[in-house]
Amino acid sequence: MSLVPWRYGRDGMYGWIWRHLPGNAWVKALISLALVVAVVYILFQYVFPWAEPLLPFGDVTVDNQ
Amino acid sequence: MRLVVRTVSELCITVGTVIVLFVVYVLFWTGVKADHVMDDQIDQLEEQWARGSVRPTASGAPGASASGPPEPAPYRSGKPFAIMYIPRLGFTWNKPVLEGTSTGTLKKGLGHYARTARLGQKGNFSVAGHRRTYGDPFKDFPRLRRGDAVVLTDGTTWFTYRIDKGPYRTVPTDIEVIDPVPRKSGYTREGRYLTLTTCEPEWGHSHRLIVWAHLDATQPVEAGKPAALRR
Repeated sequence: MSLVPWRYGRDGMYGWIWRHLPGNAWVKALISLALVVAVVYILFQYVFPWAEPLLPFGDVTVDNQ
Repeated sequence: MRLVVRTVSELCITVGTVIVLFVVYVLFWTGVKADHVMDDQIDQLEEQWARGSVRPTASGAPGASASGPPEPAPYRSGKPFAIMYIPRLGFTWNKPVLEGTSTGTLKKGLGHYARTARLGQKGNFSVAGHRRTYGDPFKDFPRLRRGDAVVLTDGTTWFTYRIDKGPYRTVPTDIEVIDPVPRKSGYTREGRYLTLTTCEPEWGHSHRLIVWAHLDATQPVEAGKPAALRR
């Protein structure tokens, strides 16, 4: 993800987030890292377990219960 | 204009990252989770057996208490009741067998089709398992051959089944394969059979792979591991 300082002052979604984080570059970097971890956690804990049964890898029975 | 292009490209990168993460989840993380959960299920079973509560007196079946030996407790949906060993799939390959074949149950181990026979009883003890994802329990299913042992224990008895018919490919609606005497298995008379089912192709769902086995031997757990499991 493009959470990098050279995006500073430009437009774009991640640039916008970066500009609105408080503190200096180090604090921003830390907060962004925490945000990334939080997003990945939510994906793995809630979103993917919901999405995975929609794929066919779980169809192993012969009567489709 | 520049803003639009940038926003679109950032969205593409985001979607791409999420897809990559999802692949990691399906290929890797479900396996990590399943290994953990399956070990838990086996620990739970072994603890239960160690406490000697293999046959919690038939409180669920009041009629049975009157005469004869107590009916074994019915399998509880979603709960483990046996451990399966298949030496062909690896000497350390062992998986818990749970009652029922719902999606949630199959994440925790192999699933016993609820309407089929009990372990070791007359009829067809049928079990389904994941080929891929959730620990890949039946990844090497096509390697099963005639004569291979499928060993199960319910805490009191070892059941050794022998495979009679190697992987048989069929369609998902072919529910005859788990009949008490499956028609295409070559069995003609009633007996104590075992059926394993998984998906085919490996990552698809268009077909199913089946193997059939018959009960070859039983022995009490006090007699030690059956020959098929000794190195």
